[in-house]
Order: sequence, then C-alpha cells, then structure tokens
Amino acid sequence: MAYIEWKDDYATGINVIDGQHKRIIHYINQLGDAQNLNEPELIGEVLLNLIDYTLSHFAFEESLMEDAAYDAANIHIKTHDAFRDKIAAYKKRHEAGEDITNELYELLNIWLVNHIKDDDGSYVPVVKSNIPEINGPEKQGWLKSKIQGFFK
Amino acid sequence: MQHIEWTEDLNTDIEVIDSQHHRIVEYINQLADISDSNDRDQVEKVLGELVDYTLSHFAFEESLMEDANYSFINGHKRVHQLFVKRVGDFQQRFKMGENITLELLAMLKSWLINHIRSDDNDYVKTVKANMGEINVTQGDGWLKRSVKKFFG
Repeated sequence: MAYIEWKDDYATGINVIDGQHKRIIHYINQLGDAQNLNEPELIGEVLLNLIDYTLSHFAFEESLMEDAAYDAANIHIKTHDAFRDKIAAYKKRHEAGEDITNELYELLNIWLVNHIKDDDGSYVPVVKSNIPEINGPEKQGWLKSKIQGFFK
Repeated sequence: MQHIEWTEDLNTDIEVIDSQHHRIVEYINQLADISDSNDRDQVEKVLGELVDYTLSHFAFEESLMEDANYSFINGHKRVHQLFVKRVGDFQQRFKMGENITLELLAMLKSWLINHIRSDDNDYVKTVKANMGEINVTQGDGWLKRSVKKFFG
C-alpha cells in the first residue's frame, strides 16, 4: 500500500489541527505497514489508535467551530457523525473477527484527504479569525509583552 | 499485560504535568498487573483511583490553560469530556459484571499516549511561558496552591 505523504496544501495554518491531521496520516500509514507485516495483533493495536484519535480530533475540531460561531458547523458535524457511524461499524466487524483493514485503509485514504482539503478548508478562515495568536505562541508572546509594555 | 514504558517523547517539559502523567501511567500499569487475576475488588479499587486522579489532572491542566489564555482550551476540554465519558461507559459495563479490563487497558494506553504526544504538546509553549511569568511575579507558591486545590 502506498504511503500517504503530507503535502503543503494540506496545511490549514492552524498548527494544532495540522498536528492532528499529521498524526492521523501517521496512523493510516502504520496501518498499511501492519497489514503488510500481516500481524493481527499489531493491526488491532493500530486500528484502535487510529479510530480513537480520529474521534478525539473530531471533538476538538467541532469545539473550535462552535467557539468561532461558524455558521456551517452543523453540516460539518453531520459529516463527522456519518463518519463516526462508519468507523463504529468497521470496529464491530473487526471485533467480530473480520479483516477490514484494506477496506478501512482505502476509505480513510480518500476520506481524510478530502476532509482536509474541502471540509476543513471551509471552516478554517472563520476559526482563524477567532484566534488571536494564530501565528503561533511567539506572536502571542510578542503581543503580551507589547500590552504589558503599555499597560503595566 | 505489558506495562507502558515511559519514553522521552512523552515529556512535555512542564515538570508538574509530567509527574501527573507519570502517576496516571503507574495506575494503568497497576491495572495491567491485576488484569490476569480477575480480582474484581482490586480492579474496582484501581479503576476508581485512576478515574479520580485523571479527573483532577484534567481540571488542573485546564486551569493552567485558562490562566495562560490558551486559545484551544475548549477543544482540549471537549477531548477530556469524551475520554471521561468513555471511561464512564467502561465503569458501567464493569458494574454490570462484564470483564472489561483488557479492552479498557488497550484504550487507556492508546489514548494516553496519543493525547500526550500530540494534543498536550500544543499547549506547552503557551502554558510554560505563562508559568514562567507567574513564577517570577508570585514565586512557586502559586503552583503549590494550584496543585493542592485540585489534588487535595
């Protein structure tokens, strides 16, 4: 299975979100490796990590959208819900002993890249404008010291 | 069941947070030690302690983020809530008589490591910078008070 490689145009510019997307890609690639090695225990472990982390990522992302009062948050959350259902179904099949690795790998491969490029692309400007230190903590430090310089 | 081994990349560089993470790992490892024994009383005891301690840790972590005006605090809170709910579901199943230990351990391991490596990493810079400022202005009495407040 081919590795997914991180491309610059996947970057949302929100570091914490990019970090989470990179981690999901890392797990998808690990799943490919585990499948190649044909080690069921390792596959099970990576699957769990992947599913678990993706669900956390959704929760994190949804909270950012809500905080920024992003008006299409509901639609975005619905696509997450649909995906959560799919993941739950795969998890059940895996627990029942079925080999779902290839299928899940393909799905994630296509889904994640679309998700990052299309869906996340649409919320990013709104969320970004809601976050003061979007260019990283250095800038916040600069801002803080400016404020302190004037308002001590 | 295998222990979680602490690796360098799990260090956040904030001592007080690292020592809390260490403690959580110890609880998980304790649970791993008794997972083969099928001793329900022991499992109940360690599980209860683990949940209590983790809740305090989350509250502590959230208060550091809040003090530092970290922008993504709500995302972290949401991920914490998701985790609390998942562990709560395990506790329910345990109360109903199910043997959940191995499944729970796998989830705890994967979650903790994911969480520390990826999510916690993001707040460290902001929180650390803020803690540095507070230590300079208030001394480390502030930290001691905060720890006491959440852990008693």
